[in-house]
Amino acid sequence: MADEAPTAAATSPAPNRVKEKPGPLEYMRRWPLQLIVGLTLLFLYLPLITLMVFSFNTSRRNIVWQGFTTDWYVRAFNNESLLQAFINSLTIAFLCTIASVVLGALAAVMLWRFRFPGKTVVEGSLALPIVVPEICMGVAMLVFFARVMPWPTGLPWPLNLGAITIAHISFAFPFVATVVRARLASFNRELEEAAKDLGASEWRTFWDILVPHMQPGLIAGALLAFTLSLDDFVITFFTAGPDTITFPVKVYSMLRFSVTPEVNAASTILIVVTVILTAVGLNMQNQTPADKKA
Amino acid sequence: MEQTWRQAKAAFAAVSAPPIVWLLLFFLVPLAVVWAYSFGVNSGPVTIDFTGTFANYTRALEPLYVGIFWKSLIVATLTTLLCLIVGFPVALAIAFSSPKAKAWLLLLIMLPFWTNLLIRTFALIAVLRENGYVNAILEWMWTHASGLMTLVGLQPLGDFEPLTLLYNNTAVVIGLVYVHLPFMVLPLYSALDRMDRSLMEASLDLGAGHLRTIWSVVVPLAAPGVASGVLITFIPALGAYLTPDLLGGTDSQMIANVIERQFKRANDWPFGAALSFLLMYLTFIAVAVQALVQRRSERRG
Amino acid sequence: MAKGSFRRGISRRSLLQQTGAAAIGISLAGGVAACGGGSGGGRVVNFYNWDTYIGPTTLDDFRTATGVPVQMSLFATNDELFARLRAGNPGFDVIVPSNEFVTRMSQAQMLQELDHAKIPNISNLLPEFQDAAFDPGRRYSMPYTWLVLGIGYRKAAMPNGMVPNSWRYLFDSPQFSQKLALLSESADLIRLCAKYLGHSVNNIPDAMLSQIEQMLIRQKPHVKQFHQDNGQDLLASGEVDIVLEYNGDIAQLMNAEGGDAFDFVVPQEGTLINSDCLCIPTGAPHVDDAHAFINYLLDGEAGKKITEEILFPTPNAAARELMPDSYKNNPVIFPPADVMAKSEYGAFEGDERARLYEEIFTRISAA
Repeated sequence: MADEAPTAAATSPAPNRVKEKPGPLEYMRRWPLQLIVGLTLLFLYLPLITLMVFSFNTSRRNIVWQGFTTDWYVRAFNNESLLQAFINSLTIAFLCTIASVVLGALAAVMLWRFRFPGKTVVEGSLALPIVVPEICMGVAMLVFFARVMPWPTGLPWPLNLGAITIAHISFAFPFVATVVRARLASFNRELEEAAKDLGASEWRTFWDILVPHMQPGLIAGALLAFTLSLDDFVITFFTAGPDTITFPVKVYSMLRFSVTPEVNAASTILIVVTVILTAVGLNMQNQTPADKKA
Repeated sequence: MEQTWRQAKAAFAAVSAPPIVWLLLFFLVPLAVVWAYSFGVNSGPVTIDFTGTFANYTRALEPLYVGIFWKSLIVATLTTLLCLIVGFPVALAIAFSSPKAKAWLLLLIMLPFWTNLLIRTFALIAVLRENGYVNAILEWMWTHASGLMTLVGLQPLGDFEPLTLLYNNTAVVIGLVYVHLPFMVLPLYSALDRMDRSLMEASLDLGAGHLRTIWSVVVPLAAPGVASGVLITFIPALGAYLTPDLLGGTDSQMIANVIERQFKRANDWPFGAALSFLLMYLTFIAVAVQALVQRRSERRG
Repeated sequence: MAKGSFRRGISRRSLLQQTGAAAIGISLAGGVAACGGGSGGGRVVNFYNWDTYIGPTTLDDFRTATGVPVQMSLFATNDELFARLRAGNPGFDVIVPSNEFVTRMSQAQMLQELDHAKIPNISNLLPEFQDAAFDPGRRYSMPYTWLVLGIGYRKAAMPNGMVPNSWRYLFDSPQFSQKLALLSESADLIRLCAKYLGHSVNNIPDAMLSQIEQMLIRQKPHVKQFHQDNGQDLLASGEVDIVLEYNGDIAQLMNAEGGDAFDFVVPQEGTLINSDCLCIPTGAPHVDDAHAFINYLLDGEAGKKITEEILFPTPNAAARELMPDSYKNNPVIFPPADVMAKSEYGAFEGDERARLYEEIFTRISAA
């Protein structure tokens, strides 16, 4: 393959992007596709941007711009139940991320490294939470925590969030496993064997050789688990108790009462928090492989 | 090479026990309980007897509920098709743009996926409602067009009638497309990105047009990506609960809404369980079809 | 029901402070110490209530009066309350189900009998609330509030200042086509249709049920949405002009900015009355203090403070006496006597009936 590359580049002009006219495969430079991409982005962003802009509008019900204010943010921050729901959501997402990364990484290593009887069954079951419709999983969790393993009420925070956190981990860690396993596929097993030949224990090999290699996958998985947890409404809706309201569930009930710019403000905060976390995560992910190579 | 578990029993146990136990206890057991309920009977307001009856399934297969399943299937299919039609050119454009633009475009497509589903739906409501932003823009254009027509001596347009964009089936499909579009674009993109471009060049060199090249070269090559994109759009759309609830009108109920009502308002857990499992079986069929497509294209490739 | 729609900065400050402190890691111990509920150790009342359905100082006042703290948790619908207690009482002492659910839960042995000797304030209740058909002899429940369903509307949308005082405009007329919304509660909807057809809201014969189903299927093209108790919002945003809602929800809208544009009427055919009641669930860990708390809520002064906050009709004569005329004479909160005379409570007619209503609603939605 390596010897072929220069010849291919020499014979075919397509990959050269210095030309004036769009190359035959540079679809992004053709206007019909530019139009489609532009419209799609408009469709995706118009609602979000209007929501964010109008969270600064002075008028309560009116959609006409009347003036700039940060009142709704002040109100959102003074709305204790909203704030509590926000803290609950972040806490659950945080706990869920840690547990999912550990469980997901172990599951990925198990499937990647070992051959064992019933492997297909385990693989299939691990894929189940990814494909099962949310409503079915929500219902299953409702029944489970009502009948099989009732979660005690009145526990101190954050233990009262246990049921929701468990439910979130159950649907998030298979996603992490999938991502990490894809990363492991590029691992050179000889490295591991070499380490063992040099006398490193199983644990040291795992920790010093395998984990650093998995790191970008772990970060991507963590990011995925965090947003999946923060985003989830249906499963939480079925598992949430009276004292364990999360942000999406609270916003849902606020929508039921009446639509106020306060919800816009709270949503804007959540969007900003997610974007920042995503940026940080992506940044870490981009840096790690470069560091390793260097 | 993979190791057999016998070679390192301790390591295997350490690695496999936590995820397997978790999955068993907190996922498979809950599902199994619901499955068992679907063969049960309400023996009182709060008690269920496991009798092994198929009555719940018989009831779930009455024309009323089959009709709702059918409707959910149609809505989900329509959503998937629209996502495919919109998503394919977008994925194509991204896959063939410069590396720098590629990263930015991918980020732009992903970003809405990272924001909360409920918030996105809520934002869509604000845009689409009768005195929402879309109608406000249309009204502005309408009155200005009307003014322009009087200027040139034509009859002014009549009063502006706001479009009804919410609380109907169209709104549900728009909402589902809005929410699931990134799910479709990403797998399509990764399939197109991996594709062997020399085949496309050959097709173009031999005089085929772009559309023809895309249709007869790109689409077949990208089939696995299309299949997985279709799958991960179709499954959540089929079980959609929030979108029909918030954007739908009087006849927009989908099967997930009926399931929710069985567990809450109707207090009929066995019947709700039977409906959930029928939905799950439909999902499995979709997964099986996808696997089939994948295997076929691998064999061909 | 958007309970206590008249929210004005309800204080749950203490709980939040503990939560917040723990969250930022200042003091996890503080969060642990905040745990009072369910443990059964010290004296406490675990109160399970609708959201914002209590006076701003009521719980603190009770603590000052008796030394017993109250730990309040919130639910949003009767179904949620029922589902939560279905698998057994997780430690609640006082709950607030609506009339129909009082019957349902007492039949399912989910409620304890009340000891009337420990609730002397029962004498504060209006005579018509001393007893109730849904709970003969008030064995299981004490009334907390009551509320009615009616029609909320935009005055400007009514031709010639007409008042839509019949259910016909909602259930059986194309007049407000695509400008009307109905509540998506199957039982309430079907019962009100029976009322419109001249029948009681209870014991609806099967023939009439299919008549109602046909009527609603006929009406459906004119209905914009079966709303989830957010009718006041649809009305305010201009999506609809006329809507089936609870009196309290529309009163809230009328109280807000621009509220003059809206009004509320209970149709002449009569309506469905609901009453939210204080009950002690089976297995409550603090039965004595629960009785004391219920007695306290029925006190005149305490009742006044609650009513001032939530502005729902109160069954408490002593509390009502202390309220200003603007409350006592508000026709939205207290509909005229003649329509009230034609109104009824919906009785609990068994789970089978509830499921039948639900299936009819599913059929209507699918038609």
